[in-house]
Amino acid sequence: MSGAPLASLSAVAATAARLETIAARLLTWGTRVALLFVLAGVIGMATSGIDPMAAGAFPPYSLTAIPGQLAALRPEGFIWAGLTVLVSLPLGRVIVSGAGFLAAHDRRLALVSVLVLLVICASVVAAISLEG
Amino acid sequence: MITGLVLLASGAAAGVFGSLLGLGGGVLIVPLLTLGFGLPLRESVSVSLVSVIVTSSAGASVYLRKHVANLRLGMVLELFSASGALVGGLIAFMLSEQVLAGLFTVLLLWMALSMLRRSDRPAAAPSDAASAPDDPPARPSFTDTLAGPGYRVHRLPLGMAGSTLAGLVSALLGVGGGIIKVPAMHVAMGVPLKVATATSNMMIGITATSSAVIYLLRGQIDPFVAGPTAVGVFAGATLGSRIAHRVDTRLLRWLFVAVLLYTAFEMAQKALGR
Repeated sequence: MSGAPLASLSAVAATAARLETIAARLLTWGTRVALLFVLAGVIGMATSGIDPMAAGAFPPYSLTAIPGQLAALRPEGFIWAGLTVLVSLPLGRVIVSGAGFLAAHDRRLALVSVLVLLVICASVVAAISLEG
Repeated sequence: MITGLVLLASGAAAGVFGSLLGLGGGVLIVPLLTLGFGLPLRESVSVSLVSVIVTSSAGASVYLRKHVANLRLGMVLELFSASGALVGGLIAFMLSEQVLAGLFTVLLLWMALSMLRRSDRPAAAPSDAASAPDDPPARPSFTDTLAGPGYRVHRLPLGMAGSTLAGLVSALLGVGGGIIKVPAMHVAMGVPLKVATATSNMMIGITATSSAVIYLLRGQIDPFVAGPTAVGVFAGATLGSRIAHRVDTRLLRWLFVAVLLYTAFEMAQKALGR
């Protein structure tokens, strides 16, 4: 048996282990930040006397409106900000991993990361076009 | 305000149960919101997807730090689960609430059956033998590079098909899809159960995100329901993971099967328009 393939497999494993540690940190801190925002929104709901089951439309999601809602200390702004961070976390993990695989010259896994991101982009495009 | 607290407590209960039984919690949240709070099924699914992302991100951070989850394998399979979720997220808006309730009934019955089978199984699954390491290949293929310490990956196409189906089910019914992914990886691909569970947990984040984005941008997520539920699920799942070693899960599993069967009955009534 030649040593080269075994060495390349161990290099692959070492890269994956390093990326797993980075991705873990991103998810840990990201989840904390997201939940702090959501918790602030829930506390805001309680202090404003908002009933989640009250009849009527709930405030719509708008990424551009979130900074204004946060500045006005509106509960939905905090919850939307938290949910935006939350939904971005798995994407962040894929971006970080993809960049790491690219840096390690693992083109196939880097390509897989790009394809996963393209599927998410397709979801966004589909949602927007259906909305229109 | 009271309703917000009840939602938070309900999310926490789903989180504790889900954590103790190795589930994402989605299978509990959707019936809870639909049957307990009277929310439309599609809205319950969207809230459940948010909770699924919370539990996945929190769980995956631990599994990745401990190097239990297989990042490479997970990334390859999540390409297929995300594609399935994209299709499922679009189909969900074409199906009536009754059809979705019917599909959820089938899922609940399937889960009850899986739980019953799991409680009969001995501690060490016989298929664990399939994950015994082979000799390292002279010329490693792409599949060989997806292996982990002590095991190799087999039948990758089966795992891809299972992941696509899991993504579809996840987007339609607001569950993580681990009930499909874990057996696909463990039984079909020879990945050890612990690694399959951890990798599935990591993949669920991307799967749920693919469809959650659709629900979010189409205005189907109510922040005042999603917020308390997500916080409750996180708190419950954290508590569940800390008390897991002190709880007799066999009794809990039987209780859970009873809850699943009752919920399936209620969902079936909804599907039949009664």
